Amino acid sequence: MVEVLSEPVGGGSYEGSLLEVDDLHVEFRTRAGVAKAVNGVTYSVGAGETLAVLGESGSGKSVTAQTIMGILDMPPGKITGGEIRFRGVDLLKLPEDQRRKIRGEGISMVFQDALSALNPVFPVGWQIAEMFRVHRGASRSDAKKKAIELMDRVRIPAAKDRVNDFPHQFSGGMRQRIMIAMAIALDPEILIADEPTTALDVTVQAQIMGLLADLQRERNMGLILITHDLGVVADVADKIAVMYGGRIVENAPVHDLYRSPAHPYSKGLLESIPRVDMKGQELYAIKGLPPNLLEMPSGCAFHPRCPYRRDNCVTDVPPLYPISGTRGSACHYWREVLDDGSR
Amino acid sequence: MGRYTIRRLLQLIPVLLGTTFLINYMVWQLPGDPFAGRCGQRPCPDAYVNAMRAQFGLDQPVLVQYWNFLKNMLTGNLGVDFNQVPVATSLADAWPITIRLAILAVAIEAVIGIGAGVLSGLKRGGVIDNAVTLSTLVLLSLPVFVTGFLLQWLLGVQLQIVNPTVSDEATVSELLVPAFVLASLNMAFTARLTRTSIVENLRADYVRTAIAKGLTNRRVVGVHLLRNSLIPVLTFLGTEVGGLMAGAIITEGIFNIHGIGGLLYRAIINQDFTIVVPVAALLVLVYLITNLLVDLLYGVLDPRIRYE
Repeated sequence: MVEVLSEPVGGGSYEGSLLEVDDLHVEFRTRAGVAKAVNGVTYSVGAGETLAVLGESGSGKSVTAQTIMGILDMPPGKITGGEIRFRGVDLLKLPEDQRRKIRGEGISMVFQDALSALNPVFPVGWQIAEMFRVHRGASRSDAKKKAIELMDRVRIPAAKDRVNDFPHQFSGGMRQRIMIAMAIALDPEILIADEPTTALDVTVQAQIMGLLADLQRERNMGLILITHDLGVVADVADKIAVMYGGRIVENAPVHDLYRSPAHPYSKGLLESIPRVDMKGQELYAIKGLPPNLLEMPSGCAFHPRCPYRRDNCVTDVPPLYPISGTRGSACHYWREVLDDGSR
Repeated sequence: MGRYTIRRLLQLIPVLLGTTFLINYMVWQLPGDPFAGRCGQRPCPDAYVNAMRAQFGLDQPVLVQYWNFLKNMLTGNLGVDFNQVPVATSLADAWPITIRLAILAVAIEAVIGIGAGVLSGLKRGGVIDNAVTLSTLVLLSLPVFVTGFLLQWLLGVQLQIVNPTVSDEATVSELLVPAFVLASLNMAFTARLTRTSIVENLRADYVRTAIAKGLTNRRVVGVHLLRNSLIPVLTFLGTEVGGLMAGAIITEGIFNIHGIGGLLYRAIINQDFTIVVPVAALLVLVYLITNLLVDLLYGVLDPRIRYE
């Protein structure tokens, strides 16, 4: 296993998708008890493919991403099961120094709040150039030249004049572009974007999503887009994984899910998007609160909030029922939900 | 930044005037006659006392005395002390020793304090962390004169590793123990401040980003984490340089070091105000200037600071 990676990441043959998360389990051991943040998540991304991972706070979407990156705080976090295969190699079994080489080169990540994610005391150009200097051993001046090219690529105006500016001197959107430039510097095969537009204005959100989509096409990257906002994924994503309570509750090609969700939670999410033709009517909201990870509801975690609930939902954990080739829903009554359609 | 510096330098003038006036006024108001007791067992003759009073201007009103002091300071004429030794000579002998002692003390604070703080902050709850917490608690709860006499007795008298007192040359090796004593409180505080700062920054998002960039652990800690964590620590160390000089009075007294502190110590006991006033004024000046330098340094360390 280790040998596959001793040649630079990029060679070697593998079957299946570029990145496969397989039955991943992650817990947090806290004083209050064990919080099961991720309970058997399985998803995969191929080259040039965009997977949107959707879910509310605490659904386990970010924890899964941090586990892929290897930046989970351990302790309190603990990986209790599953595999994360990158080019067929289980990352969780790799020694730390090999794992480190994959970060930035093979898989890289864009964080939510670029102001706190960028180091406040170093110029942005220096922070981008650091990728080339550390991973490629580039000289200071070469690395800086490449940093300017990247800043140009992510459309930062007057990149050459701004390369020595500090993060706080940029606007929110520009800072996020710098984060993106840093993440794509070494041409990674997988880019994870963890709520990349949450901290931004709506107009800027669209620009950043557009930029990510462009870069992904141009470099044939696999893109994992983590978000709680259904509105931003429709145009960009190929497929969606909806997470709830640390599980994937629905897996679907993006248009299928928008047309007819097969899980009551996805349906609820879709219905809570404001629409112009519903003006004047009360906006739908999913009732109740997200589950407490320390005390997960029995059976289906969504049952306390579910309008389709029957008795067996309280006792039986629904498996991910296959609907068609690439679709699945973890609801005992997915047929009913599917037939109802969305609104 | 240039305009800011000029404004800060101009602000020094009223502060210096105010503090020197207060020092002048207060020392001449202290009870006791500095000249009456200078003649051994017998009281001094009135003629001597009056002559000395006239020489040092004590027969004039306070404001006139202050004006003369300012005039002398600005022309660089420090005059002579009560023993008719030029004050400038005493200062020139004492300054280098105190500066050497202070530099050593700052070096000890920085190296040991920051080192211990970083190690304990990185491994919270570990053996080193507990040892650092305990030893800094001990140092912080002991007054400097206790630490000083204790080390002097232990290392100098009992174990005889070092000389209990420092010779006139005051070499660096002789000054090591006094510098450690002088540094002890600030060193303990530096260690705690560094630890807190490291622990806080360790959780920061930019550290996570640095790890996600695939940097080595050494680089994440040594470049990204340390550069941010040391901002408050360096500021503290800088601010305390002035305090260190003043703290030298006790340490130099204990170890019989003939530096500024020792000079001041003996001058106060002899009520020789011709030395107390210029030395105190000099310490004020050092304090003000190091403070200004620290404020400027802060802007260099943290680019988010702006001078307006």
